[in-house]
Amino acid sequence: MADVLTETVLPEDLKKFEQIYHGQLYKNDVTPKAQFDYAFCLVRSKYPADIQKGIALLEDLYRTNEEGQRDYLYYLAIGTARLKEYSKALGYVRSFLSIEPGNQQVMSLEQTIKKKMEKEGLMGMAVAGGVLVAVGAIVGVGMAISKSK
Amino acid sequence: MAEDVITTLKILIIGESGVGKSSLLLRFTEDNFDPEQTLTIGVDFKTKKLTVDGNAVKLAIWDTAGQERFRTLTPSYYRDAQGAILVFDISSYSTFAKLETWLNELDTYSTKKNIVKMIVGNKIDMENREVTREQAMAFARRHQTLYIEASAKTKHGVQAAFEELVHKIIQTPGLWESYNDNIHVGNKDHAPQSGCASYCSLT
Repeated sequence: MADVLTETVLPEDLKKFEQIYHGQLYKNDVTPKAQFDYAFCLVRSKYPADIQKGIALLEDLYRTNEEGQRDYLYYLAIGTARLKEYSKALGYVRSFLSIEPGNQQVMSLEQTIKKKMEKEGLMGMAVAGGVLVAVGAIVGVGMAISKSK
Repeated sequence: MAEDVITTLKILIIGESGVGKSSLLLRFTEDNFDPEQTLTIGVDFKTKKLTVDGNAVKLAIWDTAGQERFRTLTPSYYRDAQGAILVFDISSYSTFAKLETWLNELDTYSTKKNIVKMIVGNKIDMENREVTREQAMAFARRHQTLYIEASAKTKHGVQAAFEELVHKIIQTPGLWESYNDNIHVGNKDHAPQSGCASYCSLT
């Protein structure tokens, strides 16, 4: 059964919002709404190249349009998780939760991502990765201390 | 006894922003209430097993954002839904007035013609009621939908709303497919439905 990480966009929807976006791009006047709508479809495509493109559009929105940032973060997490870039996806989830702790929708997305990782046997790797980062941080701190001496 | 799920049903929750769609779902799936429930982004998804009339079904529930900015994006989730819950807030007349628009959306975008619709008047715990029960029931009767009043906050009516909806879906021939062909539910030869059969009121 499809969930938020596996349901896919209808080709006609993708086409419709692509046309709107490209029409505005042609006039050099892309609204955040048109860009988001198109990205919303792209990150739900079954083709990784589309998802990649959607992520790039969302990253651009995140930098330029403050108003919709929670929407952009959420769909960045969805897009990267669909590309199986799980640590990136969980990073977006954590940034979101640092702004809105306790958000039910995002906490449930976090669970869905973790379940998927478990299924794919990646949970151990993520933990190992986390340890590596932690070791790196300690080494970094150690170096900073020794430098300050 | 572990019951076998006979089918998975796709349920949709729609309605204006802030009427309590996500709160109803949270109450139903996790028996929880978040007084600081935030705005849903795009579409959220939850599943829940439910047994109605001795039939265990799995519900795949898509909870849509009510905000205007998502209005063009959410209809793509309407396809193949067997049930729709249209929510309004009994303490806000404008959310009730918008139901007509939501019903039109549903007629335009849902792919199953006999989709079962239920209107839920939420927030009956509130004191400043702007929509009477009679008004809402008359509206539901006119549009041949089910009607229930509920409060996600106090739990009142929430379980009943989902059970009633599923009950009606299971009784609608051709709307769903069983995983197991040997299971027959309800009457095989269905009598034509009267306007009354598609309407009910529970409190």
